[in-house]
Formats: sequence, C-alpha cells, structure tokens
Amino acid sequence: MRKYLAYITLPIFMLFAACSGNESEEGKESIDEEFIDPNSSLNTNFDGKIFSIPSPVQTALLIKSTNLPFNNDLLNPVQNASDYTTEFKQALNLGIYGTDLGYSALYEQKAVSLNYLSVIEKLTGQLGLEGAFDKSFMSRFEKNNDNEDSVMIIVSDAFRKADNYLKSSNRKSTSALILAGGWIESLHYACELNKMKPNAKIKERIGEQKQTLYTIIEILEEYNKGGSNDELISELNDLRFYFDKVNIDYEFVEPTTDAKNKTTTLQHNINIKIDTDILNQITLKVENIRDSIIN
Amino acid sequence: MIDMKKISILFFTLSLFAFQSNAQDCEKIVKVCESYLNGSMGKTKFVSDGQVYTAFLDREKAEFKTTFYGGSTYRIAASAGNDDEYVIFTVKDPNGNVLFTNKNYKNAPYWDFKVPKTIPVSIETELDLDKKVTGCAVMIIGFKQ
Repeated sequence: MRKYLAYITLPIFMLFAACSGNESEEGKESIDEEFIDPNSSLNTNFDGKIFSIPSPVQTALLIKSTNLPFNNDLLNPVQNASDYTTEFKQALNLGIYGTDLGYSALYEQKAVSLNYLSVIEKLTGQLGLEGAFDKSFMSRFEKNNDNEDSVMIIVSDAFRKADNYLKSSNRKSTSALILAGGWIESLHYACELNKMKPNAKIKERIGEQKQTLYTIIEILEEYNKGGSNDELISELNDLRFYFDKVNIDYEFVEPTTDAKNKTTTLQHNINIKIDTDILNQITLKVENIRDSIIN
Repeated sequence: MIDMKKISILFFTLSLFAFQSNAQDCEKIVKVCESYLNGSMGKTKFVSDGQVYTAFLDREKAEFKTTFYGGSTYRIAASAGNDDEYVIFTVKDPNGNVLFTNKNYKNAPYWDFKVPKTIPVSIETELDLDKKVTGCAVMIIGFKQ
C-alpha cells in the first residue's frame, strides 16, 4: 500500500509543479495563496544555480584587435580528437575546438576552420549534440565563412543551442565541461601570446579572468558527476591561488541611461594589477592544465 | 489493489505529459528571447555568449555573476511568456550598487549596456509578482564589439 501511495503522491507533486505556471482565465498567473510560503523549500528556484561564462570568442577578438598575426601553434591539433574516448574528455575538448574554430574563422583561415568544423561535427556526434551542429549549421557556416561577423554569430548560436539542449535534458555536467574547455583555451591564447610578446591589453584580459575562474570552479563542483571533475577542480584551485593575488581596484560611478534607445552606458573606473611573477605562474599553470586536457 | 495500481499508472503518465508541456513552454520562451538578439530590434546583430539561462522561478530570485569586457556593447534579453513584461532583471556592480533595473522601464524585455571598461557584474532575475507568480524564465546575453 505504501508503495502505491508513493507512486501517487510523487506524481501529484510533479503535476502541481508542472501545472502551476499555467495562466488562469483572467490572463494572469494564479496560484492558491496557501501554497506560497517564502520559507518553504517548494518555493525556490528548483532548476539549480545559474552560472555564466563570458564568450571565449571575445578574447579571440581582442587578440585580433592588437594586430597579432594568426598563430596555428596555439590550436589543439585536430589529430588529437580520436584519442578522446570519454565523455569528460570529449566535452572539454569540444569547448577547446569550438574556441579554436572561432579564432581561426576570425582570421579568415578557411581551410583551418573547415578542419576544426569537421572535428567538432565528430565530437558533437559522439556527445549526442547533432541537433545543434546539423546540416543547416554546416551549410550556413560554409556559405558565410568569409564573413567574420556572420561566422561568429553562426558558431555562437550553435553552441547556445547545444547548451540549451544539454541543460534541458539534465546534462549540465557536460555543458559545464564544454564551457570550461572553451574558457581554458582562450586563457591559453592570452597567456602564450603575452609570453611571446608582452602586451598590456592582453595582460589585462588575463587579470580579468579572476571572476570567471571562480565561476568555473563553482560550476564544476556543482555538476561533479561521480567525482569525475575532482582532478580538474584541484588543478583550477591551484590556479586560483595565483589569481587571488591579482589586484582589482574598482570605483563606482553612476551610469547614464538613454531610455529612448534602451541603452545604459557604464562610467565606472577599474584598475587591474598583476605582478610579473604571478603572471608567469599563471601562464605556467594554464599550460599544465591545458596539456592534461588535450593530451 | 489493482485499481490502486491503475490509478498510480494514470497519475504517473499524466505527470510525464505535464512535465513535457512545461519543457515545451520553456522552449517557446527561449525562441522569444533569441529573437531579441537576432531579430529586427537592433541594427547590428548581437553575438550570443553561447549560453541559455533558464530557471523555474516563483518568489525566489535567480542570481549569477559574469564579466562584461571593456570595449563591448552587451544586450540582456529576458522573457517568461508571450507577454514580455513578466521578468524583472537587475544588474549590480561588484559592490552591490544597482547599475540598471528594467523595473524602472516597464520591465523592458531587453536592454543594451555600453561597457567602456571591464566590470564583473551580478545579474538578478525575478518574476514581476503582480503579473506572474511562477513559471519558466529565460535570459540570453549577447555582445558586439
């Protein structure tokens, strides 16, 4: 009897949760007040925490804006893809290859881009993400791969589709790994290029990753399926030790808002300071982490 | 006992349909949000940051942190249904100062932010309880240089 009660009460709760968003006849949402208790565990955001990682394409754009030439040595060779046999490695390296695709496409390296596109198609197939990188995506990419803006939009839209699919099918751990891989690759570009030829803008961009690193660690901890992220989290915590020493001085200044054009312009001041020794340690650690992912 | 079993199966089946319907509602809202980045609302299209921020909300706020890079313009788009003014979003600086809230602009479903210098921000999302007390809320962030 108890077993059947459980079968019935659980679906009743699920029905309540699922149907509570439906609109009433008056056109507004309604729910019985007795169920709305701000202290009740039912009345919480039950989709879990939300995390946000800035697009790695933005660091590639910054690199291009400094007039540095395209550097093929920064990329993860496509030949490595066949070695990625676990979902953990496939997801992390899909993020890495996605960033490599964005970087090569920004520099209009058509042949390189198509190679990376091909390897992304393979990995997305292995991860069950064919829907995001389907024939329509391939066709749009091939038609527009000489237009920097279009390519960025097409690739970013495909990754957003994949992210949405993974989150809605309760595969947030895979989504987190793709984001982490993409972020590590963009930080690797910045560190390596700054090591070859120091550049103030790129150095600043490295320091700006402090908040994102904290978020990456948090997201990997939140979606740590069976402890599979433990080693990576430990490595990233070592990196955090150095990022904690990046000094960010921030001063609030009231922003200005243009309501007609729905635009707010920020006015704050910010100064990011990284000692050379700390920067060198960050560069070294990022390379170690990336090597352990791609090899 | 057999009746009990039949009833439990019926409830379970119904609940699956209901959940599927909720997921479909969320998908529709994602498409509404996408139209704010790619539609005719701006002269230049915004590039997605590659993520979809979805939460089932009631009286709670969903909050997350991100970084807006200097030299970019960002667009935040939010929706919780066909009537676009259901979602309130608030952008705060690292010290908790409010930089913007769409509550002051009739819950505008999207807003642009010109960012001359990089800033770590936190973004809070909640439903306007005068209009909707529970449901799926979706946010999308795009940028252009």
